[in-house]
Amino acid sequence: MHSGYEFGGPQMKNVKKSRWLIALFALAAVAMLAVACGGDDDSGGSTSAGNDKPLVIARDMDINSMDPSRAYCDTCQIYLSATYDTLIGLDPKDNKTFIPRVAEKWEGNADRTQYTFHLNKKANFADGTALTATDVKWSFERLANVKGSAAYFMDGITSIDIPDPQTVIIKLAASDSSFLAKVNATYAGIINSKVAAANGATNGKDADTTDKAEAWFLKNSAGGGPYTLANYTEGAEIRLARNDKYWGDKPALKEVIIKQVKDAVTQRQQLETGDADIAMQLDPDTAKKVNNKSVTIKEVPSFNFVYIALSPGAKDNKIDLNSNIREAVRAALDYDGIIQVTLGGGGKKQAAAIPNGFLGTKNLPLPKRDLVKAKQLLKDGGQPNGFEIDAIYPNVNVYGVDFNTMMQKIQSDLAEVGIKLKLQPVEFTVWVAKIRGDGIPFTAVYFAPDHTDPIQYVQYFGMVPGSPWSARAGGKATPLINQAEVDLSAKALAANSDEEREKLYESIGKEMIKDAIHLPIVNPNLELAYRSNIDGMHYSACCNLEVARLKRK
Amino acid sequence: MGTYVLRRVLMMPVLLLGLVTVAFIVSRTVPADPLSTVVSERQLSNPVVVHAAEKRWGLDKPLPAQYVIYVRNLLRGDMGTSFRTKQNVRQDLEDRLPVTVELTLASMAIAVTVGLVLGILAAVRRNSWVDHVARLFALFGSSLPVFWTGLFLLYIFYARLGWFPGPGRLDPRAVGPDKVTGMYTVDSLLAGDLGTFWDALQHIALPSFVLGWAVMGIISRLVRASLLEVLNQDYVRTARAKGLTERSVIITHALRNALIPVLTIIGISFAVLITGAVLTESIFSWPGIGSYAVDSSRALDFPAIMGVSILGGVIFLVTNLVTDMTYVLVDPRIRLS
Amino acid sequence: MTADIRTLEAGLELGRPVARVPAWLTLPVGVGAAIILVWVLVALTISWWAPYGPLATVGTRLTGPSWNHLAGTDALGRDVFTRTLYGTRSSLPIAGIVIAVAVVIGCVIGAVAGLFGGWVDSFLMRISDITLAFPPILLAMTVTASLGPGLRNALFAMVVVWWPVYARLLRAQVISVKQQDHVTAATAMGAGRMRLLVRHILPLSMTPILVNATMDFGQVVLLAASLSFIGLGALPPSPEWGSMISEGSVRFYEWWIAAAPGLAILTVVLGFNFLGDGVRDFLDPRTRRR
Repeated sequence: MHSGYEFGGPQMKNVKKSRWLIALFALAAVAMLAVACGGDDDSGGSTSAGNDKPLVIARDMDINSMDPSRAYCDTCQIYLSATYDTLIGLDPKDNKTFIPRVAEKWEGNADRTQYTFHLNKKANFADGTALTATDVKWSFERLANVKGSAAYFMDGITSIDIPDPQTVIIKLAASDSSFLAKVNATYAGIINSKVAAANGATNGKDADTTDKAEAWFLKNSAGGGPYTLANYTEGAEIRLARNDKYWGDKPALKEVIIKQVKDAVTQRQQLETGDADIAMQLDPDTAKKVNNKSVTIKEVPSFNFVYIALSPGAKDNKIDLNSNIREAVRAALDYDGIIQVTLGGGGKKQAAAIPNGFLGTKNLPLPKRDLVKAKQLLKDGGQPNGFEIDAIYPNVNVYGVDFNTMMQKIQSDLAEVGIKLKLQPVEFTVWVAKIRGDGIPFTAVYFAPDHTDPIQYVQYFGMVPGSPWSARAGGKATPLINQAEVDLSAKALAANSDEEREKLYESIGKEMIKDAIHLPIVNPNLELAYRSNIDGMHYSACCNLEVARLKRK
Repeated sequence: MGTYVLRRVLMMPVLLLGLVTVAFIVSRTVPADPLSTVVSERQLSNPVVVHAAEKRWGLDKPLPAQYVIYVRNLLRGDMGTSFRTKQNVRQDLEDRLPVTVELTLASMAIAVTVGLVLGILAAVRRNSWVDHVARLFALFGSSLPVFWTGLFLLYIFYARLGWFPGPGRLDPRAVGPDKVTGMYTVDSLLAGDLGTFWDALQHIALPSFVLGWAVMGIISRLVRASLLEVLNQDYVRTARAKGLTERSVIITHALRNALIPVLTIIGISFAVLITGAVLTESIFSWPGIGSYAVDSSRALDFPAIMGVSILGGVIFLVTNLVTDMTYVLVDPRIRLS
Repeated sequence: MTADIRTLEAGLELGRPVARVPAWLTLPVGVGAAIILVWVLVALTISWWAPYGPLATVGTRLTGPSWNHLAGTDALGRDVFTRTLYGTRSSLPIAGIVIAVAVVIGCVIGAVAGLFGGWVDSFLMRISDITLAFPPILLAMTVTASLGPGLRNALFAMVVVWWPVYARLLRAQVISVKQQDHVTAATAMGAGRMRLLVRHILPLSMTPILVNATMDFGQVVLLAASLSFIGLGALPPSPEWGSMISEGSVRFYEWWIAAAPGLAILTVVLGFNFLGDGVRDFLDPRTRRR
């Protein structure tokens, strides 16, 4: 019944009849093209708008909270430094010197157990009310009591006294020369206690269960910083509006938008087209290839680093990772080659698990490739023919370093001395479960500083009681302890001068090299990539980027 | 029919409970650490912080208790707070669903329009070069990985040629229209803001083309097939015999009947796209359900994973039901049992 | 069957040379089969004639296509063209295994559900509903997250995603076949369930399953690439198309790194789509060349 030629044959010659179909198709195509080409509203180029035109920062955001007492991330530092004032600031010129902010002056006692801050009378919040010592005390107590990730900044405080609205006296249980660095950190930003309390926040001892303000902070800021939060859309943008009541130097830009842009390639595209004014995570390879007059690229040293960690005490470790073996791994790695492959050469070698630029790192010996030495060390360590080991690492791309690329290079480097790596990239949550559980014999991770004091590296990487890596390297029951590091860090915390501290931290650095648990691979450079009409672009050790310092030329 | 639909509807909560249970078991037995989403890795050896976090996020109770609490809250309409976004999961889904729906609708619009035209052309000029080109174009779309197409289209049409705007839903500096539906194209029209509408339309063009192209092939092939079948039916022959023009035969007689099976495939494609736009969303920086699903699973954000699973399940079950019912309405020979 | 004869007749009437080629060998089927044949040959013989090793650093990193490196080099200085060709060795077997296992598991479950009916049927079908209701990527992600990365686990994840498709297909077949006269007769004559399945149901179900499998082959290649793209599939340094595109996606100004594996995926999937499309056209009475 369906004989084909009825329609398939003769009638088909009647082409005219289907012309309308072709026309329809053409219409659809034209409509799409019109969408593509037309209406090119010129948003870039015109400088007449100047500082009134919103500044766009392209960034892959890692926000874990918008609540200053609970936040703990790189993007949080940018956001918090814009919306909350800290007691003291950091001079962006050297990333070391503290400068007055809410506190116009401050002093510490001789053994670094007490600090006194004198607040500026002019300091106020975005709602116009005065910022007083009460707010400082309240904010610090809340930071400690909600027991978030940055709560440890307030560890060791025995009392906060406020004799008058402009004076804060903080007493510590033990010497802590790093306390100023912690107070400078963005997480110690001062919250408008009345406003926050009215929205469910509390500084009480039980704040970890009774404080209900975290959701409120997603839509509001309650600080006295140069900007206020205008809008936050998770996964899309943070929109900051200038705080017109700001008591300090008025920021130039009226509006600043941090946009979620996942990868470096897209960030570069947006920067080059002018859709973004600043691209924050260009890797050196990508940045080097930008050839565009309206874009400026500046490569600066960073305080981040990527390292390999060897844990002889990890539970399922079958290889005796003695110090000879660990040193053999160190000597077998082609550091320059790795830096070339991962960052196109845009990074530096690093000696110990304290990044270049921190106190005491100047004279530490950098690692070098020496295959003969590596083979000898393997022999001395009892593995003359090398061995096979799983390398379990988080599958991430940070500071421009793609871990898969890096580990493939490391794999081929180590193969030259007979060490066979089996690469196992895993999700970060899986990695954390493993490292918290049984430990991982061979892994690779990254680190960015919480504040500007080198003590954080001893507390995290050092073989000292309570440090995460001491338990990971030695095993939970038998944490590795290096008594020299314990003693030296106690001295450093009580030291009163930077010269003295520098010497102590250098000795600590040498001890950490001797531990050979962490083998720093690279200290990646940071690319400041921005439209050439932007002024004041910088990299800040406390805050990543202080948006208040930016303006259009 | 009525009892059948009723039974299917009544079955839904049971299925959803099954879905919730499976999602719960699967996501909780994963050997990964959900705490790493709420506590910095550096502080995970700090017992005070860890204990506080476990208590706050309900991870200190045994798994069965957690399950009971979750289901109880769910019955009250509370989907919990996301570990990652710190927002109520229902709010998260409400924020993100319109984004995906907008993208999906736009993709379907492109896929249906072009698929229809290609399918008709292919059927009318069967086995000619038009048919072959249409087939090739349609098959190309469903043969390319969307993440690859997306990356290349962005590179060519945004970075190189500048014909289309880049990732995102609007110009980076623009402010979105007041929220009514959450879909920028619709909301801007409702607000009478043509500039924003045009901006949103330009931004949705590339990602929706990428997605639309991927399903275009199915639609055009189906249109072609059912049109060919219809064109051989008696009533079409009668229409022709009456001396109607070929155009009116196709439009008034053939197409209307040929479209019925196409409707069902549109429904299915819609359900697939809503949860399947994962990679397109992340490449084009669209904060929709797909990227939410991936980010949540990466972070092992239990409440969010459960929320997405429930939403996906509801969409799937409803489209399934609607599709089955359409079949019945269309073809009385099919009985539902 | 009569329709076939009519097709031939119709063709002859129009003077088309239908008789010279078998009816199933349409242009799409031919093209599809040829593409796949080429890729299979590449997979089998690549190690004999590849200019470079897939893991060897053989040139300056990140250089564009040239005569020495037809598709350029990647960040580690490896030859992208060679790696792409080697990629068939993971993509094709993966797709084959996933489809085969999914078909077997799906068919067993579908047959059991269809034959036994009742609560067994409801139970199995609800499970398949739940599986289908999960977004595939989400499901695959959770599975690979719990089992660890690697192709084997990704493979398992994809089987989990795919079996319900075949379970539903076979169940539908079983139910429709059960109602046919000769089967009812066979049952009445006391034929057992197993016999019913093997003698009457499976032969009739083979064609739709084959067509579906051919069409799905390409889709599995795509899903595998997507999983590797988000870091859940192949482990480095093995060459796999999805992970190569993922490497290329972070350096898109060196477009060639992602271009070659993308084109490889395109051709393979296109090949299977052509094949499946052509076979379906032939088998589907509605679309058959008339």
